[in-house]
Amino acid sequence: MRADSVAWERAAEVREVAGGWRRAGFIDEPTEQAIREAFPDPCVTPSLVWRVLTAGVLAAAIKAAFGAFAIAIGRSPTAAEIVSLLFAAGCVVATERLEASPRLARRGAAGMTALLGVGLLLLALVLFLTETASRRIDDHAIDLLLIASTLAWAAACWRWGSPVFAALAALSVFLFLGRLPHGRLLWLLVGAALVALAARRLDTASWAPSHRLGAAVLVVAGIGAVYAAVNVFSLDEHLLEEMVRHSPGRPPSSRGLFALSAGATTVVPLAVLAWGVRSRRTFVLDTGIVLAALSLVTLRHYVHLAPLWTVLIVAGAVLVIAALVVERALRRAPAHELAGFTAEPLFSDERRQHALQVVPVVAAFTPAAAADRPGFAGEGGKFGGGGATEKF
Amino acid sequence: MNPDVAGAIARLKAAGVLADGPAAFFDRVARRQLVSVRFEIRALLYAGVLLLTSGVGVLVAEHQQQIGPLAISAGIGLASLACFAWVIRKATPFSWGAVDSPNVAFDYVLLLGLLLLAADLAYVEVQFTVLGPRWTYHLLLVAVVYLAAAYRWDSRTVLGLALSTLAAWRGISISLVHGASSIDDPPLRVNAIVLGALYVGAAALSVRLGRKAHFEEVYANAGLLLLLGALVSGALDDWVAWPAWLLVLLIVAGLVVWLSLRLGRPLYFAEGVVAGYLGLVRLIFEPFQSSGASSIPLLLSALLGVGVLAVIATAYRRMREREG
Repeated sequence: MRADSVAWERAAEVREVAGGWRRAGFIDEPTEQAIREAFPDPCVTPSLVWRVLTAGVLAAAIKAAFGAFAIAIGRSPTAAEIVSLLFAAGCVVATERLEASPRLARRGAAGMTALLGVGLLLLALVLFLTETASRRIDDHAIDLLLIASTLAWAAACWRWGSPVFAALAALSVFLFLGRLPHGRLLWLLVGAALVALAARRLDTASWAPSHRLGAAVLVVAGIGAVYAAVNVFSLDEHLLEEMVRHSPGRPPSSRGLFALSAGATTVVPLAVLAWGVRSRRTFVLDTGIVLAALSLVTLRHYVHLAPLWTVLIVAGAVLVIAALVVERALRRAPAHELAGFTAEPLFSDERRQHALQVVPVVAAFTPAAAADRPGFAGEGGKFGGGGATEKF
Repeated sequence: MNPDVAGAIARLKAAGVLADGPAAFFDRVARRQLVSVRFEIRALLYAGVLLLTSGVGVLVAEHQQQIGPLAISAGIGLASLACFAWVIRKATPFSWGAVDSPNVAFDYVLLLGLLLLAADLAYVEVQFTVLGPRWTYHLLLVAVVYLAAAYRWDSRTVLGLALSTLAAWRGISISLVHGASSIDDPPLRVNAIVLGALYVGAAALSVRLGRKAHFEEVYANAGLLLLLGALVSGALDDWVAWPAWLLVLLIVAGLVVWLSLRLGRPLYFAEGVVAGYLGLVRLIFEPFQSSGASSIPLLLSALLGVGVLAVIATAYRRMREREG
């Protein structure tokens, strides 16, 4: 990343935190102003809505221009390759220019041009490989594409700092590894190595804030890869082996391996949860919660403890009760904190969180439209939300 | 630890900008010696409510014969009442202003109670056909209950649910679970426009009368989604009357953009811009419909995009200047 960009990012981070202090009433306006003066950030930083709007319209404009040139030049793959490369180069140059300008760096445009630049570069590679391989993408071409994708997204992350690019690089590398012989073992080993390496960089002061965020994304990707490799359902159904290039017959897993995998399906989420609690990193804790939920679903797949409705109701009740117990314990603890955890919002914007909460609730719990329900009268109907749609 | 923030705190403390007390507290948070798990608690509560309501749905569907309709409706009704009893006991007094939730679980227990009540009403309607051929009115009833609950217990989440349920009553689904309904059917489009206009009106009234003024965003966003969505659908899908739809769309989108600039609301501005942009893209492509693949409309669309970007940049600058 450019030194200027890193400095701007650091200042922006401090100013954002100071905004939280002010919102929570810990500091007054003059103090916040003094902090802003101590950490000057020349960048214009619009809110998320502006950034998404800018990025979306820019993407539409670039894609339309790309389509126009591709049609104008002709339908040959070579022409399309050239247009892709030209547009990719244009996007990369534009990203560099935008990133260098404090007025334009954080307005959503730079992120989109970077994304399209790498995407178009990979498209050019796909077109080239299609052309050289007699208009057919073979296994070698896919491998080459995944390696190129890993390198390109990793380089983009390093240069421009977006954690999304880190996620895309991790996805590409694991897809590539999954295609190799012993892909499952490679997912396990590389995933563990990625966690170990990235976790060491989470608090590295010399790294830019966005690079540290990228490291956090890699930790989650590594944990996900390890879990996917050891999960008993994934092993039993040969989910990772489906990616292997030349897939010979799939021998059934041995009993010992199955038992080992079943044990790991239980242990890995608990280990991640324990790490999250011990390190007090909420993203690790959240990952552990998601993995624990996946392990419970896996358990339900193999062991029918009770009917589905019982499992759902009991699981729901347990979650609600657990959340209430934790909240009450934290609220009643001295200074509302226990082992370094609190249920207080600290400096987060509660109002914004409440506003954001409306969307998933409405999306999940809104009933089906009246017109969508033919035959309600006398022929049964439906009700529910959040997957609870049922017919009587 | 966040090294940048931790370093900044030390620097600000040394410079006398931060007092010792707050600086020590901020430093603990920056070094992760104190971490908030409020988001995690909320997420668990949300997931719990989702699973509980899903479980009740499956139970009713699979075992209604064994349990019997009376027992089922009574059981769900009792569970709903239990939730409401807890909510009433914990609730703070009513106010026309914003009221903080008494605790983090409040919104979710309220939501659970309302969802169980809605499920119960639907079940009773199906089993006992209380409303007969006018069964769809049970959705209106549910929406009214949600609306009353949203006002009484000051919940924007429940208000959002009320508005989407009211839309469902008029045949428009904006649910992810059931799939958003297409509003290319003319009567549905009219319903969406009328409802959208009503919601936008309610947003304006909320602010003007000072009655739950903080509900404005929920009302207005739901209203604009319906109103502009219906107009865009008319401009894109109606092969006969699309010019009329487009004209109305451009007028309404322009009005939304102008008002959003005056009010300083970026989200309304974005909704207006996107709707207007889609309408203009339709206009650009129309003359080339019969000429096969042509680069001209694409090039014009790209130029339009550049123009829209310039509008966005200008609007952002103006909004910032207005905010001072």
